[in-house]
Amino acid sequence: MIHLESITKTYLLGKESVNVLNNISLRIEQGEFVAIMGPSGSGKSTLMNMIGCLDKPTTGTYNLSGENVSHYSENELARVRNQSIGFVFQQFHLLPRLSALKNVELPMIYAGVSKSERQSRAEEALIKVGLADRMDHLPNALSGGQKQRVAIARAIVNKPKIILADEPTGALDSKTSVAIMEQFRELNQEEGVTIIVVTHESEVAEYAKRTIFVRDGMIQAPSSSSKGAFE
Amino acid sequence: MSFMENLLMALNSLKAHKMRSILTMLGIIIGVGAVIIVVAIGQGGEAMLKTQITGPGNTVELFYQPSDEEIRSNPNIFLVAPFKQEDIRAIEQIQEIKSIVASSTQMSTVSYKQETADASSTGINQAYLKLNEMEVEKGRSFSTSDFLGGRRVGLVSHVIQEELFKGDNPVGEVIKVANQPIEIIGVLEKPTGLLSFGSMEVYLPFQTWRTIYGSSDFTQVTLQAESSEQLQIAGKKAAKLLNNMHNTEDSYQVLNMEEIAAGIGQITRIMTIIIGSIAGISLFVGGIGVMNIMLVSVTERTREIGIRMALGATRGQVLTQFLIESMTLTLIGGILGIFLGWGTASIVSFFAGWPSLISWQVVLGGVVFSMVIGVVFGLLPANKASKLDPIEALRYE
Repeated sequence: MIHLESITKTYLLGKESVNVLNNISLRIEQGEFVAIMGPSGSGKSTLMNMIGCLDKPTTGTYNLSGENVSHYSENELARVRNQSIGFVFQQFHLLPRLSALKNVELPMIYAGVSKSERQSRAEEALIKVGLADRMDHLPNALSGGQKQRVAIARAIVNKPKIILADEPTGALDSKTSVAIMEQFRELNQEEGVTIIVVTHESEVAEYAKRTIFVRDGMIQAPSSSSKGAFE
Repeated sequence: MSFMENLLMALNSLKAHKMRSILTMLGIIIGVGAVIIVVAIGQGGEAMLKTQITGPGNTVELFYQPSDEEIRSNPNIFLVAPFKQEDIRAIEQIQEIKSIVASSTQMSTVSYKQETADASSTGINQAYLKLNEMEVEKGRSFSTSDFLGGRRVGLVSHVIQEELFKGDNPVGEVIKVANQPIEIIGVLEKPTGLLSFGSMEVYLPFQTWRTIYGSSDFTQVTLQAESSEQLQIAGKKAAKLLNNMHNTEDSYQVLNMEEIAAGIGQITRIMTIIIGSIAGISLFVGGIGVMNIMLVSVTERTREIGIRMALGATRGQVLTQFLIESMTLTLIGGILGIFLGWGTASIVSFFAGWPSLISWQVVLGGVVFSMVIGVVFGLLPANKASKLDPIEALRYE
């Protein structure tokens, strides 16, 4: 489903060009639960942005569900993000002035869903993440775990094929982290949603069926020894 | 994404910074308010001047302006009343004319007991009071028999009551006009309106007047017609007729009130444009204020913009969001400005006795113009917002 072929990403820093991603090829199939790990500066964030269609490769091709999105225009990429990808961020990234329900409605606004349908689907998503009684709360009236559940509800509300979670437990305590990861596992097992988690915590990576290690802009062969090197 | 949704979103984010929104709007409120005040008072003044000059009755005055030659041959020509009885009878034949009001005025000494004053004494016919919209405040007006019988009765202006009678009711008293006793039967209402200053005036039936002054000629002739078009035709015909009868070139003329009114209208319009453009400058400054605040708002909400983009907002949608937000800001400011201008103009006209006119065109213009300001000055901030890189914007603290 996700098929990266010889992707490179080069940034120009002054006169110097820096290769952040170096000839990365990667396949992730429908229904997988994948963790992307790597030290900071390894290029894992850039890789995630690439998969999430927030960034375009300098060279190489990216096939998403059979669509070659490498040369999509910005508007087309916006549509792909809206329809095919759900984002979950470390800092939750909820809009502070909107209630939980309105936050979950946001992606559907850009998808052109009617108002009544938006509301019922947002309620449905919030019930699914266990926040039936917190729908009208503003984000700052919610705990960190609850905020992240709202973010997950927002990520799944447009029924995307992929959920991209960037350090989803990075701002949560360990008990809440477990609950959030259980939520992802449930979505993956029951709904068949492809889940890609970027993390540096091995406890989080353990939920994944496959772990991809990134170092110096390249994917390292998965081996138990290299896994240990990050601990 | 519908316009309504954008609007609600805009209202929501303006509500989040109430004080800032109100202060930003203030520039637009004052700008639009000032324009409305200027235009309302300007148009009101123009309308008032026009009615003051032409009068509501479709009338035109004939006047006599002798040529230099005539003045040389007869230096006393101005002492002679220019309209004879037969002139009036001839003019009466012109079919466009509805009525003719001929009158004669002379300055005379008016006295009551020991008090003496100079006043204009005017002999009038029955149509005169109605045509000039003169109402009697105390006593009664002339009756038909007063006119036919040439009774020695008269109406006096309000100023005469004040000057000669020290404000006491003069009805029934006898005054002397050019040494002839006249019984006062009524006092005329104080003239209203900006250009009418009260003056010392006595009005007599024309029959009475001619016996006092020994002249049956008229100094003023006013024509009335059904419409202003007919009035113009009638005026031209009458002037031509009189010039023929008196064998003069162009001495009898029609005073064209509409031309004067148009001239005054021109002046007030120029004034309105000048003051209006000064008010327009304040609107421009207000627009810059909006732009400034919107730029601040875009910077503050960089992360929000990043989130929206990640969730699927296109650059166009972000642009629209901020454009509608700045437009909403200026539109609300504009509407409040219209109320402010309307209120202020009403208060001004209440105290100045000057009507203020708020036309729907001005209101519509105010609404549209404030929206345009929102779009124009919102363009730069909205463009800035839409050009943000979503990755950078998401990372923005």
